[in-house]
Amino acid sequence: MTTEVLPEAAIRNERLRLRLKSIRSFWRRFAARPDGVIGVVVLIFFSILAIAPGFFVGPLQTVITATGLPLDPPSTAHWLGTDELGRDILNLTVHGTRISMFIGLLATVITILLGAMIGIVSGYVGGRTDTFLMRVTDFFLVLPTFVLALILAPIILDIVGAGSEVFGIRVTLIVIVIVIGITSWASTARIIRSQTLSVKERAFVGRARVIGSGGGHIMWRHILPNTMNLIVANTVLVFGGAILTETTLSFIGLGDPFAPSWGEILNAAESAGAMGLGAWWYVVPPSVCIVLVVLAFTLVGSALDDVLNPRLRVRR
Amino acid sequence: MGSRYLLRKSFGAIFTIFLIVILNFVLFRMMPGSPDRILLRNPNLTTEARTAALERWGLDKPLIPDQLVAYLQATAAGDLGYSFKFHGESVTDVLAGRIWPTLILFGLGEILAVIFGLALGAYSGWKRGGAVDYIGNGLSLVLYSMPYFVIGILLLGIFAIGLHWFPTSGMLTIGGSNTSTWDQFLDFAWHLFLPLLTVTIGLIGQYSILMRSSVIETLGEDYVTTARGKGLTSGKILRAHALPNALLPAVTLIAINLGYVIGGAITVEVVFNWPGLGTLTVQALEARDYPVLQGIFLLLSVSVVVANFGADLIYGRLDPRVRT
Repeated sequence: MTTEVLPEAAIRNERLRLRLKSIRSFWRRFAARPDGVIGVVVLIFFSILAIAPGFFVGPLQTVITATGLPLDPPSTAHWLGTDELGRDILNLTVHGTRISMFIGLLATVITILLGAMIGIVSGYVGGRTDTFLMRVTDFFLVLPTFVLALILAPIILDIVGAGSEVFGIRVTLIVIVIVIGITSWASTARIIRSQTLSVKERAFVGRARVIGSGGGHIMWRHILPNTMNLIVANTVLVFGGAILTETTLSFIGLGDPFAPSWGEILNAAESAGAMGLGAWWYVVPPSVCIVLVVLAFTLVGSALDDVLNPRLRVRR
Repeated sequence: MGSRYLLRKSFGAIFTIFLIVILNFVLFRMMPGSPDRILLRNPNLTTEARTAALERWGLDKPLIPDQLVAYLQATAAGDLGYSFKFHGESVTDVLAGRIWPTLILFGLGEILAVIFGLALGAYSGWKRGGAVDYIGNGLSLVLYSMPYFVIGILLLGIFAIGLHWFPTSGMLTIGGSNTSTWDQFLDFAWHLFLPLLTVTIGLIGQYSILMRSSVIETLGEDYVTTARGKGLTSGKILRAHALPNALLPAVTLIAINLGYVIGGAITVEVVFNWPGLGTLTVQALEARDYPVLQGIFLLLSVSVVVANFGADLIYGRLDPRVRT
């Protein structure tokens, strides 16, 4: 080759400079959305709780290590009262943060991976593959997926056995993660597919094809990066939805009593008849946490959507 | 409405229902143990009923095509098998007893939520940035982030347990059957109020958010600008131009969301001990009563498909562009 070749370092520096510039401009636009910023603050707060619950409230209390009387109202010893076993509600709720957020995170990863993969392949390959994949997607969109999850979860649990562990994570939790993933990828796939269809028509994809790039390479290096904005915004929204679904599944009784998420705490409260006994302190803390976290995800998600996908912005 | 549009939509709906039944078949065979053993495990089933069931499902024949065909025939005839929990009663009977409470609760709840949600959303979108928009949109977002059962628990705690205004559970007062029909109706309405309020509040949020963005989008369209240019009043523009067009995406989205909504709303019944399909689901889950669970899944998914088909027909009527 006789053309002038830029030194490697210069290319890298230029790339870094461009990236920093885009991050800075992204942050400027995002900071202009107060609702999104508030959402981020709330999420950071709960993430810290989720990372180190033991640091704030000590280890998770069990029947044996319970520190209070059964269904004790809030006091100086137990700020949020106790449950029917004498466990501290604050302790349970803070530890529930970790479980709810962790299940939500894993379920989101599966949902987004499935949705993005199916969306990109469907949109890029087109033809019969597209028709088939979109039929499946529409089927999952119409299906009452939560009810499907309700059936799938006990079936899988019965097959693998509820008590066992995989990689130190209890199987019940994994099953919930998988079930949420299987049942909620469809709308992501639809969104990503439509973006793929428009990216596919751009000139650089045609050029990549001309110089002999394969389909896999184009999808990975050209289509995926150009749908990333949508994927990021969608991930945040899916995260909130996954936490909601997990909460509802656990409330119905499909959760793991030994790893109490917020939904599981509410399920225990329901079984103990806490509301009937006037033990509002049992129910209110996990409820407030759920609403705060899901609301925060919704706010951040829609703010991101506006900032990252300006073409979707509402005209006035 | 064009007959081709109608034909295409009917074919799509029937095909989806067919897929649902196939999925149900696969789930049924995925279950731990063969269906034969599941039948055996059911202590409340007589030997004759078991033999009859074995023969009907062709369980001694190969899985495909014999068993599949037998399953399809049985399902088409409304035979969904026998419940484990409810003393070997047929699933169809178990479901039939629970449909009405659910239909009344969610039918009314949907209607109320659609009316109020769409109205609130349309007004918020029209007066964007106004007081109603800020409060309404904020409230909608909070409600949208709440699981339905949390709304139920809070309402139950405040109005039934705290203030004693409403009963805490059930559909009728026990032992109240010898009073007049009118009194029974009042008793029913009194029990219905809180669950209905919960379902309505739970759904209003998403419908309002949906309608708001739809109205805002429509108000940015060229034909609205044209209408403004013609000097029409802003109320006239909203009624004659913006609203009819904003309703279109709303109709589709309401139908699509239905499948999602039904699942979450099931939990409301649990909170109020409302004797419908939701409480049945939980009872069946606890007893691992698979035939009943599958019956519920089949019933709910087919209802959602039918509702979507209905929405498609309404859409075809409202929007001339899709009648091809």
